[in-house]
Amino acid sequence: MIVQAQDKVPQTFKDTRVINTQSVETLKAGILDFRVGHRFGDAAGAAGGWPTFYGLENAADVSIGFDYGLTDNFMIGLHRNKGAGPLKSNVNMLMKYKVMRQEIEGRNPFSVAFSGMISYSTMQRSEFEFDINFFDKRAHRISYNLQVLVGSKLTERLAMQLGAGITYRNIVQPRDFNDLPSVSAVLKYQFTKVFGLILDANFMFSEFHTSENNRYPAIGVGFEWETGGGHVFQINLTNATGMAETDYLPYTSSNWGEGEYRIGFTIARQFKL
Amino acid sequence: MSKVSPKYLVASLAFIFVICASLVIPNEEMVFEDERVFKILESLGSIETEKFPDTKEFGVSAKRGQELIEKGFSSKPGGGKTKKQSKHFVCTSCHNLKKEDPDLRFSDPQARLEYTAQKDMPFLQGTTLYGAVNRESYYNGDYYKKYGDLVLPAKNNIREAIQLCAVECAQGRRLHKWEVESILAYLWTIDLRLHDLELSDEEFVFIDAAIQNSTDQDSAIALIQSKYLDGSPAHFGDAESSRQAMKSLKGEPENGKLIYENGCLHCHANRKYSYFLLDDCDLTFKYLKKKQGSYTDHSIFQAIRFGIYSVAGRKSYMPQYTMEKMSDQQLKDLESYIDMRAE
Repeated sequence: MIVQAQDKVPQTFKDTRVINTQSVETLKAGILDFRVGHRFGDAAGAAGGWPTFYGLENAADVSIGFDYGLTDNFMIGLHRNKGAGPLKSNVNMLMKYKVMRQEIEGRNPFSVAFSGMISYSTMQRSEFEFDINFFDKRAHRISYNLQVLVGSKLTERLAMQLGAGITYRNIVQPRDFNDLPSVSAVLKYQFTKVFGLILDANFMFSEFHTSENNRYPAIGVGFEWETGGGHVFQINLTNATGMAETDYLPYTSSNWGEGEYRIGFTIARQFKL
Repeated sequence: MSKVSPKYLVASLAFIFVICASLVIPNEEMVFEDERVFKILESLGSIETEKFPDTKEFGVSAKRGQELIEKGFSSKPGGGKTKKQSKHFVCTSCHNLKKEDPDLRFSDPQARLEYTAQKDMPFLQGTTLYGAVNRESYYNGDYYKKYGDLVLPAKNNIREAIQLCAVECAQGRRLHKWEVESILAYLWTIDLRLHDLELSDEEFVFIDAAIQNSTDQDSAIALIQSKYLDGSPAHFGDAESSRQAMKSLKGEPENGKLIYENGCLHCHANRKYSYFLLDDCDLTFKYLKKKQGSYTDHSIFQAIRFGIYSVAGRKSYMPQYTMEKMSDQQLKDLESYIDMRAE
């Protein structure tokens, strides 16, 4: 027999992101992943409903960009996001390194990856000194995020992932803190080989990140299709307005309880270079 | 006159005897089992030199040829590395480099499946490159339907066949002359040996005698050439005919398992050459079973009989299995294995 069983789990998740959260997956060497993501406006609540056709007539965030696998375990990415938080027009640079891959019947029950992002806001400078985009220094345009992700394919159908990270912004609004620790949880349930249910949740830990300050955990639920030929399509409902870690982690101010969730989708198309 | 001492006489006679005896000892057998077939044919007067690599070309080396075949790139004659020949495939994606048919006179997919499984080799769409230089024709039969007039220059010219494979089959760049010659140089290291022909003792003696005595040389050449195919036959099937033919067949899941593991997984495991991941999971088999009746790329009948074609922006594809590479019975076996695993 040539291939009895692969000693490594070939795929824990189908994509490098699960809704908004980075997954432990990296691209294979030489693969270019073209990604377009969109988050519409509030589907319900005060800003949603029929007047905005359930949010479809508004765009909370739009992302377009590429990821590229330098090796089978190391990928980089460059994305342009409209941005949903106070810092908009962001250029996001991503790096992800998979340090350990789950083995089917081996010692490693997990895959482990580190993900890092640097965001540079190209937003126009404000004339007003107290605006966050006054950009007294060029460094104020920059935010960072670093995460460690631990994922496991528990059964053929079920996969989960836990993560912990820190987001650092060089400039924040009054009373907010520059550093923002967070944890994430991701779940995937595969109904068929190509269709699955996905969930992601991100919880932030800071005295400022409370509902009193209009800050909420970013929670999403969606479906994922692998349509063949390197296409993955995700459609989701999430209260997060932004799509990049440096955006949705610090600035999610929409509340599921008030109908402030939105339809979002991501189209990913892979090419071999 | 002095008398010769008897002991010198005996010694002289013994010496003369040894000399004479050595003259009547038959020559050492000239033909060995691992002799290269082309060498034997050459000894019999069948000399063909145009397939030999042009070693005068700067940079030609069998090692570079092997690298190109196995990795898709090699060291450049002037230093550095070549650009990858194809970003989708290497030669070994579709071709073995060892003997894959137990009897080289026939292209029998079941015998090949069992033989390759025994030897821990994959079960592939392309014909092995082992002995490629011993063949006379390439892109035979229905390949004209697929590649049209592109086949014509490649039909009886191994260099053009290599280029056609590089550009069309592998969807890559055209090879430089030194690369083609290097590949050819490597292919000459995996040409047929006499033992591959499974000659009987009588046939062996006959060939040996033909070489020793320069008799019956044409018959010996014909005998050798009758022991292997001078081209790999290729007949395309179609999904609907296979579906119909399979109705009267009974599937053998164990055989299907071999096909799945040594054929399908060669490219699809861990998405090695394909975006479509196949593995040992029940979900995968359920999906394949569900798609069997459809007319999409993910139906095994469609994919195996027609292949997956390149589309704009996605040049990679799956070459089909010709009838000589996978029979309808084997397709039935594969179906029955998928059905069994999907239950």
